Amino acid sequence: MWGFYFNELIRSLPFFLKGLWMTVAVAGLSLLFGTIIGFFGGIMRAGRNKPARIIVGVWVDLIRGTPFLVQIFVIFFILPGIGIELEAFPAAVIALTNLTASFITEIVASGILAVSKGQREAATASGLSGYQQLRYIVLPQAMRTILPPLVGQYVLLVKDSSIVSAIGVVDITRVGWLTVQRIPEGLMVFGLVGLLYFVICYPLINLSGFLERRMTVGSKRL
Amino acid sequence: MISFKNVNKWFGELHVLTDINLEVTKGEVVVVCGPSGSGKSTLIRCINRLEPIQKGELVVDKMDVHDKKTNMTKIRAEIGFIFQSFNLYPHMTALGNVTIAPIRVRKMPKGEAEKLGRDTLTRVGLGERIENYPAQLSGGQQQRVAIARGLCMRPKIMLFDEPTSALDPEMIGEVLDVMRNLAEEGMTMMVVTHEMGFAREVANRVLFMDEGKIIEDAPPNDFFTNPQTERGKTFLSSILTH
Repeated sequence: MWGFYFNELIRSLPFFLKGLWMTVAVAGLSLLFGTIIGFFGGIMRAGRNKPARIIVGVWVDLIRGTPFLVQIFVIFFILPGIGIELEAFPAAVIALTNLTASFITEIVASGILAVSKGQREAATASGLSGYQQLRYIVLPQAMRTILPPLVGQYVLLVKDSSIVSAIGVVDITRVGWLTVQRIPEGLMVFGLVGLLYFVICYPLINLSGFLERRMTVGSKRL
Repeated sequence: MISFKNVNKWFGELHVLTDINLEVTKGEVVVVCGPSGSGKSTLIRCINRLEPIQKGELVVDKMDVHDKKTNMTKIRAEIGFIFQSFNLYPHMTALGNVTIAPIRVRKMPKGEAEKLGRDTLTRVGLGERIENYPAQLSGGQQQRVAIARGLCMRPKIMLFDEPTSALDPEMIGEVLDVMRNLAEEGMTMMVVTHEMGFAREVANRVLFMDEGKIIEDAPPNDFFTNPQTERGKTFLSSILTH
C-alpha cells in the first residue's frame, strides 16, 4: 500500500511544485514590500518626528500583539464588509507584507538607534543634511546590526506564509491538505511539505549565520 | 566673528549658561577652561547649534544662530568641530572621512576632494595613513584625522571640545602641535581644554567659566599670574600643583 501511495505522491509532484511556486510568490512579494515599508517604518520609528514615531509604534505593537491568523481573517473576511473585495492572493500578500514590515521596522529602528550619537553629531557639525547623514553615515553602520536579524526575519516570513493556506491560497501547505485527502499517508505527504519549506529556509538560515559571524568577528573594518 | 549677547541656555530646569557675553574676533585663539559641569562644552556646542540656545543673541560670521529660521547647514560648513571622542566614521578610510563633507556639502568633484584630502592628511602628518580605517589608527592619529576632516571644509572657525582628554599622554603632543600650527596660520579658534601649557603659549585670551558664567576673560599671562576671582585661584592651584 505504502509503495502505491508513494508512486501517487511522485505523480502529484507537479502539483507540489505549483504550491512551492505559490509559496515563493507570496513570500517573495511580501519580502520585497515588507522590507521597503519596514525600512521607512524603522527610519520614522528612530526619527525625530514625535507623532510619526508614536503612530508607527502603535501600529507595530498592534501587529506584533495579535495572531497572524486573525490578521489575515480580518483582511480577507472583514474588509469585504466595508466594501473592499480582495482575492485570496492579494489578501495574503497584503497581510504578510504588513506582518513582515512591522517586524522589520523594529529591527531597522534598533539598528539605527545603536549607532552612537557622536556619529550623527559629527555629521551634523560638518554640514551634512538629515538625509545625507542617514544615507552616508548612519545606515551603512546600522546595516551591520540590521542584516543578521533581517535575514532571520525572512526565514520566519517563509514559514509564516503557510498560514495563508487558511484563506484558500494554494501554497505548499494547502497542496498538502488537498493531497492528503487522496493519499491518506499524512506523514509522507506533510513530510514532503516540510521538506520543501526546509529547502527554501535552509540557505537563508545559513546566510543569517554567516552574516552574523562576519559582522561580529570580522569587525576590523568596523 | 563670534558674538554672544546675553545668551542663556537651560537643560530642562538646569540653567547651564547664564548671560554669556562674548566677542571673538577673526584670527583670535580663545581657550576656555573651568571645572567640569561649568558649561564650557555647552558654550562651544551652541556656536554651531549642536545645542540650541533659549534666550539671547548669538551671531556667527554675520549669521543669526539664535534664529530658528537660519539655515544651519551653511554656517556649520564654515565651522570645524573637533570632539573629545573623535567621532570618526568607522566604516570609511581616513580619506573617506575627510572627503565626505567636501563632496556632499560643498559639491566638490571627487578627484579634487581626494587631492585636497591627501594634502590635508599629509599636513597633519598622516600622509602614510590615507587608506587606513579609524580602528587601525592610534587615538592621536584618529584625532588628527578628525582635525583634517574639519580643515577639508576650509572653515573660518575651528572649535575644539577637549580634543586631548581621551588621549594617552604620549599622544597629546602630536595633536597640540597640529593645533599650534593652525593658530599660527591665523585660524580663529575656540578650544576647551585643560592643557594649560597650550593655553599659555598659544591663546590670545583665556576664559574661565564656573556654574554657567564666564567669570574671567583675560590674556593668558594675566590669568595665570593674577586671577581675579577666588574660584579662579582655587582652580589654578588645583590644576597646576597636581
